[in-house]
Amino acid sequence: MGQNLFIQNALSPPILFFFLGAIAYALKSDFEIPAPLPKLFSLYLLLAIGFRGGIELQKSGFGYPVLPTVIAAILMSLLIPLICFLVLRFKFDVFNAAAISAAYGSISAVTFITAESFLESQNIPFDGFMVAALALMESPAIIIGLLLVKFGAPKDRPIKRKMKWGAILHESMLNGSVYLLLGSLLIGFLTSAIDPSDIKKMEPFTAELFYGAECFFLLDMGIVAAQRLARLNKTGAFLIMFSIFMPIVNAVLGSVVARFLNLNPGNALLFVVLCASASYLAVPTAMRMTVPEARPSYYISTTLGLTFPFNIIIGIPVYMGLVNTMIPSIG
Amino acid sequence: MKRLDLIFSERELNDVLSALEKAEVPGYTVMKHATGRGPERIVTEDMEFTGFGSNAHVIIFCEQEIIDKIRENINNVLSYYGGVAYVSEATPL
Repeated sequence: MGQNLFIQNALSPPILFFFLGAIAYALKSDFEIPAPLPKLFSLYLLLAIGFRGGIELQKSGFGYPVLPTVIAAILMSLLIPLICFLVLRFKFDVFNAAAISAAYGSISAVTFITAESFLESQNIPFDGFMVAALALMESPAIIIGLLLVKFGAPKDRPIKRKMKWGAILHESMLNGSVYLLLGSLLIGFLTSAIDPSDIKKMEPFTAELFYGAECFFLLDMGIVAAQRLARLNKTGAFLIMFSIFMPIVNAVLGSVVARFLNLNPGNALLFVVLCASASYLAVPTAMRMTVPEARPSYYISTTLGLTFPFNIIIGIPVYMGLVNTMIPSIG
Repeated sequence: MKRLDLIFSERELNDVLSALEKAEVPGYTVMKHATGRGPERIVTEDMEFTGFGSNAHVIIFCEQEIIDKIRENINNVLSYYGGVAYVSEATPL
């Protein structure tokens, strides 16, 4: 079963396109995607999953399991950076440990989307309200990361680098990806409540194009991940090990919480993936702005070069096996 | 006449331009999507979607007094986020 899941996932179009991009880089092909397109496709994916999530959220309401799941997701995005920080402090200073911890406490929307595609290919049902958990897990991790810096930084940190909380909250809650995701969620929710016929008009854009756009974006991600992977030697063995083992630890924690929440296997997998994934959109940009002492090569190379490909290629089927083991009565 | 070259992440472009406007520079040229290598990493357009995109290159031709006015504000931005700023002599054609 586990091996089948792994092979089916590895041979799905999004993952094959990811490999295609990575191989293009490895073979030094002159293939490239003009820079504005990946940005456009990442915005499209956020808009589409936000909109569809809003529709599903309207249908499911805010009772069980929506509210407990969302609250648990937020708590996990507060807890995971603290655990990561304790581990990372063995090797890194406060700034780097906090920045990397925040990235691992936050989420990767593309990993989430890939997990959704995996569930669809396996005919395992899941609920669209999980997008709400996705949207709400970015900001808390950023805030925890910055609190770790605030309380852990040396007292002689230059005054100009003292935290400006207005800017921090602005960056953590209104950075582009969080803003678009939450905004689209709200628009989907309102559209579904006010005039559901408008959903049909949006469907060719938000639903039918989605899978192809995901493949195209993953093609580019393959190139970027391969570039980052090639530069991982600068990060050291400890961080390389961390970027593989920490997602697994977080996945185990997530599956325990998913079992406690009594989530169905589809939702449980998405919850676990949210816990196991690491941010390369909102958190790195927020960290660079507020913690310039931290080295971007640490938290970008590991999240994009190792954790992201590990999660989408190996992690998702492994986490599905974990969910099936942890929640046998439902799975 | 002086020429000031500024190279920094595109994310700080608004902050830098605001500092230039405050100093009342006569004008400036902005070139986006500048790539290359910094002390920390290769600067590439490939990371545009992450918010870690390419650099911007801003060129200003102005008198020394203007350079003196913008020095502190620009240095504040560049010393916090990184980037380079160089002043050179410029002779009109």
